[in-house]
Amino acid sequence: MAFFLLRRIGTMLLTALCLTFIVFWLTNLAPNLEKLAKNQGNVRMTDEQVASFLQDRGYAQPLPLKYAQWLGVAPGWVIEGRDGTVRSRCNGVLENGVLPDDARSFCGVLQGDWGYSTVFQDGVGSIIATRLGLTGKLMFWVMMVMVPGALIIGVLAGMREGSRTDRSLSTVSIVTTATPEYVSGVVFIAVFASTAFGLRWFNGSATSAMEDATFENFTLPVMTIALYGMGYIARMTRASMAEVMTAQYIRTARLKGVSFPNIVMKHALRNALIAPFTVIMLQFPWLLNGVVIVETLFNYKGFGWTLVQAAGNNDIELLLGVSVVSVFVVLITQLISDIGYVYLNPRISVS
Amino acid sequence: MTHTTQTKTLHPAAKLYAEEYKAGLMDRREFLTRATSMGVTAAAAYGMIGLAQPVQAQTANIQQGGTLRIQTLVKAMKDPRAYDWSEIGNQSRGFLEYLIEYQNDGSFRGMLLESWEVSEDAKTYTLNVRPGVTWNNGDPFTAADVARNITGWCDSAMEGNSMSARMGGLIDSNTGQARDGAIEVVDDLTVRLNLTAPDIAIIANMSDYPSAIVHESYDGGDVYANGIGTGPFRPVSIEVGVKAVIERATDHTWWGTEVLGGPYLDRIEFIDYGTDPASWLAAAESGEVDLLYESVGDFIDILDAIGWVKTETVTAATLVHRFNQQTEVDGRVPYADRNVRVALAMMVDNAVCLELGYNGRGQVAENHHVCPIHPAYADIGPAPFDPAAGKAMLDGTDFADYEHELITLDDDWERNTGASVRAQIADAGVNIKHTVLPGSTFWNDWTKFPFSATTWNHRPLDVQVLSLAYRSGEAWNESGYANPEFDALMADALSIADADKRREVMAKVQQTLRDDGVMIQPFWRSLYNHHNGNVVNAEKHPSHEFHLYKFGFAA
Repeated sequence: MAFFLLRRIGTMLLTALCLTFIVFWLTNLAPNLEKLAKNQGNVRMTDEQVASFLQDRGYAQPLPLKYAQWLGVAPGWVIEGRDGTVRSRCNGVLENGVLPDDARSFCGVLQGDWGYSTVFQDGVGSIIATRLGLTGKLMFWVMMVMVPGALIIGVLAGMREGSRTDRSLSTVSIVTTATPEYVSGVVFIAVFASTAFGLRWFNGSATSAMEDATFENFTLPVMTIALYGMGYIARMTRASMAEVMTAQYIRTARLKGVSFPNIVMKHALRNALIAPFTVIMLQFPWLLNGVVIVETLFNYKGFGWTLVQAAGNNDIELLLGVSVVSVFVVLITQLISDIGYVYLNPRISVS
Repeated sequence: MTHTTQTKTLHPAAKLYAEEYKAGLMDRREFLTRATSMGVTAAAAYGMIGLAQPVQAQTANIQQGGTLRIQTLVKAMKDPRAYDWSEIGNQSRGFLEYLIEYQNDGSFRGMLLESWEVSEDAKTYTLNVRPGVTWNNGDPFTAADVARNITGWCDSAMEGNSMSARMGGLIDSNTGQARDGAIEVVDDLTVRLNLTAPDIAIIANMSDYPSAIVHESYDGGDVYANGIGTGPFRPVSIEVGVKAVIERATDHTWWGTEVLGGPYLDRIEFIDYGTDPASWLAAAESGEVDLLYESVGDFIDILDAIGWVKTETVTAATLVHRFNQQTEVDGRVPYADRNVRVALAMMVDNAVCLELGYNGRGQVAENHHVCPIHPAYADIGPAPFDPAAGKAMLDGTDFADYEHELITLDDDWERNTGASVRAQIADAGVNIKHTVLPGSTFWNDWTKFPFSATTWNHRPLDVQVLSLAYRSGEAWNESGYANPEFDALMADALSIADADKRREVMAKVQQTLRDDGVMIQPFWRSLYNHHNGNVVNAEKHPSHEFHLYKFGFAA
């Protein structure tokens, strides 16, 4: 078990390293750096101004060196700019042109320094913490709606395969899964939030939900994400349930005269939930994906929105921070699902 | 409202303008713009033409206090001189004030300057600092502060400083800094500017958003962090892309309370809803905001329909489809040839673009970037429209079979206008495609695009945009236009303070721009915003300014 965990953590670090390097390389392509300079300086900067801007702020160094500085395995740059100001990666603008004696020379992820976001003018660590917190709130409510809803639909549909209940619930699940968030979100806003349709039950914008989530401003974003995942999990649960219901021991139980509710609750449910459990855990990475669309659509400024802003503005260090967090979320949920599987199904052993 | 006297002696040109106004040679707005930029107060200017100044602020019906929530982009703060978005200026306008304020009616009003006088040759400006103004840390505001800020504007070595291009007459071209003796502190309340060449746009330039006045302790970077200003509000917090908040500075006595009235609000929140107008609408419908920064395109009608109140201002804001005359495409420079440019311009009927691209909400423009509401606009007639002649002209060049590519931003009306331009050129039998780029890609390389559309904001004087955008080698020259003849005409125009005399030169300037086929400029836009009906004094401003001290809720 310990070896299994170690191997998993090793994979996780290696994946994070590869992914961040790719992101680093892409964000440091010349046109992206030019965009960055124009965002930061002035959109009308000349090519010379762009070059000196990049030179003075360490962007003109070789790529592997810059990456090593970001990781914290190479000392941060100290560059005297063409305007005479001395800037350093770790200590900002130096007043008298020299590094103080006690100044840090390494400042990378390994030292716990996630860098500085050029768009938001704030530390990457604190931005990601705030935004992840907001997305956490959204995800929590999505899970609260999605998991019980999906399991109930799946179990009800799967316990009598082919029945009328099964057919209608399956149709609903297929429809919700087949409707991506960017379609259902727009439809929901049009139907439930706009004056055009007349029903103004909810708000079409979730901006105020960041501070104070209410039924009006949080329902639509939560439902948009939840419905999509719900259909998928319900289909899995139904399949699993249907399979279990045809197993020998269920037939034996029925022949013994056990009542149908008892069969479902006591005999079938636990076995039928093994497959959905994995699917639910795998929904976490999917949710990260879904929040990108939903947060942008409803203007809810969480992690997904941050990702869009960081990518759109070529905010190198923020984008790297977001990538690292995403890798960890994906791989940790997979790890939990693997371990949880062992407990749910004693026939499987991870060692 | 009380008004201070700006000058004892009226500028002779102002008297001439008044006569012209009375003779019906110019409209009220033109008269006000011209007369006030010569140092006459708005009240005096109205007096000269026998009108009473309209009461601008409905002071009686405003309630004191309240939190106003405004939908607007929230951009990262930077040194004011490098401001490149009107929104950034608005974020700091509550605490960083300006020497001069440009009013909705086209006139200029002294803010931190009580008055100013312009010499007849427009080379010497005497600026009278308003007495009794203090910074919110208690320091008095004096002529030294004014001189220090103007000196800062002249620093052309600073990356992204857009003020230096507008202070040409004060800058020593060898050092790129303010010339010795150009900015003179006469006494505690008087500053004199000695220009090398006449410049009639100085006062107008001092009202533009990068010219916010900062405290001596400010040393670059985020002005919210410094927080010292003369205005009635104080910065509280800013989260870029999310929200910025300012609050009434209760411990600070604002000079304007006596002079202008206000401020009325306790707290102002700028909330970012991104660039999609659908999100702005959602915010309005959900009641999450009280006021929109700007309403655009089809959303103007939709916002009307949900019962929000519309305000409108006619402006010289526009969309220019400019050719870059220096950009190479596959080894050739398609738009270096004047005939190619003129031919394409002749294929486009500007009125069609206004109708299809902007729902007719504006005025047809004439391909020379001078608007009828500008003081020295010369009427040289509509732009020629003759697709057949254009096609014949294009066939005579080396680029008859060339596939043109028009690039526009992915923005409702810019895209639609671009599409109407493309369609008309294609109808004339020319090979052309339309590429729509999202903002993140467009702004990367936009100045180099061979043929693309750029939005321009309204500026009060005719010469302002032209000198920024079309003179050879200027920072904002994105058309690659370099014509010594045009530069000479502009130098001429910039030295004539009197708009009537300048009009003769402007006629040539406008004709030159059109004859050289520098741009296809279809229309002048009217600008709109909407509020929920409870907000007062928040009418759309031609330069997108929020005069926050005036804003309030109806009592």
